[in-house]
Amino acid sequence: MSISVKVMKRPEAGRTSYMRATLRGMSLTLRHLVRPRSVTLEYPEEQPDLHPRWRGTHRMEVHADGRPKCVACGLCPTVCPANCIRLVGGEDDQGNRYPIVYEIDEFRCIFCGMCQEVCPVEAIHVGQHFENAEYTRDRFVYDLDRLMEQDHPVTDLWDPSDPRSE
Amino acid sequence: MRTVTLTIDSAEVTVPKGTSLLQAAEGLGIEVPHYCYHPGLTAPAQCRICLVEVEGAPKLQPSCVTMAEDGQVVRTDSDAALRMRKGVLEFYLVNHPLDCPICDMSGECMLQDYVFDEGREKGRSREPKRVFGRDDFGGDVLYYGDRCVMCTRCVRFMDEVARDSRLTVVERGSRAVIDTFFEEGLEGSPFAGNVVDICPVGALVSKDFLHKARAWDLDHTPSVCTSCSQGCNIELHTRDNLVQRLKPRANHEVNGHWMCDYGRANYEWYNRAGRLEEPSSGRGGKRRGGDWKSALEHLFVRLVELAGTEVRVVGSPSASVEALGALLALAEAAGGAASGVFRSRRAESEDPMPGFPLLVRRRDLAANVDGARLLGFERVGDDEAAGGLEEVAAHDGIVVVLGDELADQSADFGGEAALYVYMGHFDSPAAGNADFVLPITTAAEEEGTFVNAQGRVQRYWQGLQPLGAARPAWLVLGALAGALMGGGTPASAAKAFAALAAAHAPLEGLSHEALGELGVALAAEAAHG
Repeated sequence: MSISVKVMKRPEAGRTSYMRATLRGMSLTLRHLVRPRSVTLEYPEEQPDLHPRWRGTHRMEVHADGRPKCVACGLCPTVCPANCIRLVGGEDDQGNRYPIVYEIDEFRCIFCGMCQEVCPVEAIHVGQHFENAEYTRDRFVYDLDRLMEQDHPVTDLWDPSDPRSE
Repeated sequence: MRTVTLTIDSAEVTVPKGTSLLQAAEGLGIEVPHYCYHPGLTAPAQCRICLVEVEGAPKLQPSCVTMAEDGQVVRTDSDAALRMRKGVLEFYLVNHPLDCPICDMSGECMLQDYVFDEGREKGRSREPKRVFGRDDFGGDVLYYGDRCVMCTRCVRFMDEVARDSRLTVVERGSRAVIDTFFEEGLEGSPFAGNVVDICPVGALVSKDFLHKARAWDLDHTPSVCTSCSQGCNIELHTRDNLVQRLKPRANHEVNGHWMCDYGRANYEWYNRAGRLEEPSSGRGGKRRGGDWKSALEHLFVRLVELAGTEVRVVGSPSASVEALGALLALAEAAGGAASGVFRSRRAESEDPMPGFPLLVRRRDLAANVDGARLLGFERVGDDEAAGGLEEVAAHDGIVVVLGDELADQSADFGGEAALYVYMGHFDSPAAGNADFVLPITTAAEEEGTFVNAQGRVQRYWQGLQPLGAARPAWLVLGALAGALMGGGTPASAAKAFAALAAAHAPLEGLSHEALGELGVALAAEAAHG
């Protein structure tokens, strides 16, 4: 197959007037000066509306008595494509299986939301949250207590029976 | 042997007379679901999940007890069989808690598998489930009554194989549970751990393994139990470069489907911290860490300088045949006599499995006692693996210690030696005088072979990455012996074994490939000669 080259016609220098284009641009600028259309969000005074399926940093749901809902089944570290979840299971004094260690490295996380999708007890969620700045890198490894403290809204994941979230 | 020919799922198969339909189908690679049937136990045909359609029979037949007959036409996947099995599975799930996320069996559970393959998508039961909670059966065994499918494999195992009837079914119908007779339960039974393996669901679980790892997360490596000279075939289940548990591997010549609790519990030493991690040289306070290249070069130079000096070697009954063979080859190359000593712990008595007499917890509590004897090592010391090394300790020639931790020896050990080489997993006070301390791998970190008490040569495979710079003993010793003799370094454990088999008559004709996963028995006179 031969390669065809499309030759673009360009205005020739010295034979084309830019006056018309300049005037059109100036008129647009003038129009905005008179009737401004604001697109700038005055963050942080104004907060953006996040999409219902926005996937941000995680949150662990808790029972009414303050225990984490997680049962340490091991599905989220297994499904996690970024391998960012560390889980060590154990048993509490009432004989319930619970996570002794549950850590998510938010730097490593790719926010795919598969951990939330796979969770059989709806414990781990990705959240509608994006303000995560910290002073040190190690603060981005969220441990169980930190995940349970998070109180931002959680993400609605894609529902195959309701693909448009209606 | 009389054989019968029958058709299963439109494939024709010829099997010995007396084979059940389930086993015949297994030979064709067709798995018929089953709970109560286990190849090592009798089949009571009570779980009703292995029903198949046999042409001419008025009803579906339980394939585990229906014997194959000439001209039979069997359908394991006919509409009637599938419908019936679906119904049976629905009944199993009426009271099952469906707690797979917190169940230790999840991932290797036969109820999970069959329901996923053939069961209903959604249950129709509206009634509340009956709840039993869990029961401590003693020993290493926990019982979750809610998950039980009443296959009674555990009851039959204790009756038929352990011959120690400690379990039974109490109550009837939906209230039926497995229970123990007395307070002690399974405590003290040397084989009770097997009921956890044969439980098809998560009803019987190991306390030791509880919540430790998920079954689907474990890597399985075929190996040989190192706890006694029976050499039960096992699987190492590993994760995060640690051995998480041991499971028996079927070998009908050695251990059937079973292993003893002593061997099953004895795996923590693979994961023990404080191992030797780098080769070092220099006596006492002058000991310096280094790399293998310089350590082996210096050791080689010393061996050449001392050529012709008398060599005393101390082997270990836990070292592989390859390692012990290489140790003798090195001793020979360095100019000494090709014989050595080893010490091993011995139990007071043997512990045979009553229903499977081939499996015996042997007196020798190390895997390769018979391999060491076969190669010409002599056992010294007492039953606690102590003493017997006075001559070696005061030897003024070359002393090589492989794998023996010298726990009972004083810091003077090898003080007179012209050259003292200590190779082991752990450092020892008696290694203080060693000119070279070389770290070697454990049986979980290397390939090799053991010879068991029946004279059976069995292979084990590498399941873990070696710790630090630890290397297999056959490699280290083989490299030195090769350099001294001009033969070169063995490239693999298989090559090391092949060289050994060529030099030692009892092993003649054997190779790693010929040993396979199940091992080969040596001729009786060779094994005990």
